[in-house]
Amino acid sequence: MSRGPIVVVGLSHKSAPVEVREKLAVPAEELPQVLRALTHDPYVGEAMFLSTCNRVEAYVSPRAGSGATPEQLAHAVRKVFEARVGVNAKIDPGHLYEREGEEAVRHIFRVAASLDSMVLGEPQILGQVKDAFDAATEHQALGHFLGRCVHRAFTVAKRVRTETQLGAGTVSISSVAVDLAKRIFGDLTDHVVLLVGAGEMAEAAAKSLGKGAKAIRVCNRSLPRAAELAAQFGGAASTLDTLEQELLLADVVVTSTGSSTFVITKEMVKRAMKARKGRTLFFVDISVPRNVDPQIHEIDNVYVFNVDDLEGQVRDAMKARTSEVAAAEQIVTTELAEFRIWARGLAVAPTVVALRARTRAVLTTELELTLGSRLRHLPEGDRAALTQMIESATNKLMHTPTTRLKQASVEEDGPDMVRALTHLFDLPEPHEEAPNDTASGKDVGQAAQDDSDDKAPQTH
Amino acid sequence: MNIAEGILLVLTSLSYLAATLVYFAFLLNGRGASTVNRVGARLLALGASLHAAHICVASLYLHICPVEGIHFPVSVVAMLMCVVFLALRKRVRADVLGAFVAPFALTALFASRMSGGPSADTGHVRNVLLPLHVFVNVGGLAMFGLAFSAASLYLVQERLLKRKRVEGLFQRLPPLDALDRAEHRFLLGGFPLLTVGILTGTAWARKVEMGGTADVLRFGFGYAAWILIASVLVLRAAAGWRGRRAAYGTIAGFGFAMLAMLVYLVRSPAAPPSPVVMSTVITTGTNSQGLEGPLMQPPSAGGIVP
Repeated sequence: MSRGPIVVVGLSHKSAPVEVREKLAVPAEELPQVLRALTHDPYVGEAMFLSTCNRVEAYVSPRAGSGATPEQLAHAVRKVFEARVGVNAKIDPGHLYEREGEEAVRHIFRVAASLDSMVLGEPQILGQVKDAFDAATEHQALGHFLGRCVHRAFTVAKRVRTETQLGAGTVSISSVAVDLAKRIFGDLTDHVVLLVGAGEMAEAAAKSLGKGAKAIRVCNRSLPRAAELAAQFGGAASTLDTLEQELLLADVVVTSTGSSTFVITKEMVKRAMKARKGRTLFFVDISVPRNVDPQIHEIDNVYVFNVDDLEGQVRDAMKARTSEVAAAEQIVTTELAEFRIWARGLAVAPTVVALRARTRAVLTTELELTLGSRLRHLPEGDRAALTQMIESATNKLMHTPTTRLKQASVEEDGPDMVRALTHLFDLPEPHEEAPNDTASGKDVGQAAQDDSDDKAPQTH
Repeated sequence: MNIAEGILLVLTSLSYLAATLVYFAFLLNGRGASTVNRVGARLLALGASLHAAHICVASLYLHICPVEGIHFPVSVVAMLMCVVFLALRKRVRADVLGAFVAPFALTALFASRMSGGPSADTGHVRNVLLPLHVFVNVGGLAMFGLAFSAASLYLVQERLLKRKRVEGLFQRLPPLDALDRAEHRFLLGGFPLLTVGILTGTAWARKVEMGGTADVLRFGFGYAAWILIASVLVLRAAAGWRGRRAAYGTIAGFGFAMLAMLVYLVRSPAAPPSPVVMSTVITTGTNSQGLEGPLMQPPSAGGIVP
């Protein structure tokens, strides 16, 4: 892509275990700080940060005029990662992956379409990408280029969802956890499910587990939210202060809080198991950072499974979906080609803008000269009409050259054409990255309009 | 061995063998659980029926009551295990226990035959405690055999779960809690029988003089089995000892019960007849003197060892 490369640096369930992922995980309240750290880098123009239970990724594009290379962008992201992990801890470079240019864009598309998820086709990831997009937009970390790319990713996700069967069926981390619970308890009709945390994941778990369970209890930091969720399933609600007492009643415990420390400790479970007289207790920890101390798994009759532990189960359950992957990947490829066209068009945009400005300037100057002399008598209304006429003439005159220039950019003739136009019309030398990411001027807008008249990628 | 016994023995063995293969095939490839369980159960039921017929024919042919002689009880234990398993398999929801029961029955069938045959003139026991003693011990051992099977599968399943290997074999074995419950129920069913066996054995032993080391060992193993099983049940109820600890206790208890039987089976044929008739918890047998029969003696004229 001729516009500066988008770079993705991160780790996911495929590259790093949960113990590593949780070190980099960023809770929502700390997201502004991370975005600020990224965008304050002299090379980074735009940034978005995605932190879910299965992945932590930063997406960046270069600052206009900085001439940043992919290596410099990746280095900027790694610096932020290292700052999060702390001075004394290190991330094994083998856990981190980097993608740049088209591969980075393909990666974003695949992530949003849930093709890179642990559970293929799961719907939560799109919501999580949207949340990341909203946060980046709110903190003015996104601009025209990366923002457009993420928007395009939403389109890809929607197409995959509607045009393929990738999301069909009921496979999810929660449904897999239910299957595992049934392998331990037989059925859940005599067993109580405790949800620790009342977020989206807890709700999904409640939907899967609630069907067959004897009772559902919800334990959350905020009691009103716990009560709201519990009410949906006819369960009881409580706050985290009573968690230890809740462990006496529950048989299956699903944790999904945003806490960065263990909510359930080994000592707590040891005491609970004594009071439970050894009755089996099964923890499903779907939060990152983890909420349940993994050492609890060592206690007799207690089993702790986190998201990584469920991966094998998920793989088995998803065999039916893999046939849909090829169709979904085809959609990604098609949309990637569309984005490529748009991005290349963006490379000739400065020339289009300059040419349009030059044309308008010439016509406006001539008009002003005429209005100042021979047509001095014209009333304001007529003068406005003439100004409007100049604008229309500029647009009509520039439509074909703009279209042809964009076509040429797709066909790799763009640079030659840009050089020719710059020379012929004495235009200023275009910067590779101009216009700036936040550009929204009239000429750029019109250029985009010309683009969309012909073959603009459809977003949103 | 007459022809009828021979045919029944072969058919019983084939049925148990087929059931074993069916259950093991399921454990290996995990396909068609419901079909396999149904077919396996039917083959096992056929085997148990043929086995019962074989015991009847053999005892009629030899004029020996099945409760009089070590060889019959060994065989009857195996047959009873099959019957109890078939009767309770739906309730305990652990069909795969058939993978233990079928080969155990097959092995017990041959073990009883290989260990020699009963004396033709057995049946001189005149004490009413003997049939009761043998009956409860045989029934108890069958229940403990099933509890042992459930406990063994529990340990396998628990180990897989602790190692987080929840694919393949883990998916084919019954749920962990179902195995724990099954083990507990079989223990609860077998423990009263074992207790009666202990009481009748002790009552009889008071009347006779203790024999050699083998008798002492049998006594020791019998009581150890009773104490272990009792501990498992009490600690489970009082202190929540369930799961792995209970499984180990059950296996150890069954192990001691089997050792008691083994001591009886491997006694030297040269050893003088023991004066102790019913000292063991599990096993019993009588000889022409009205006491325990020699175990390693060659098959008698009939040669019937069910």
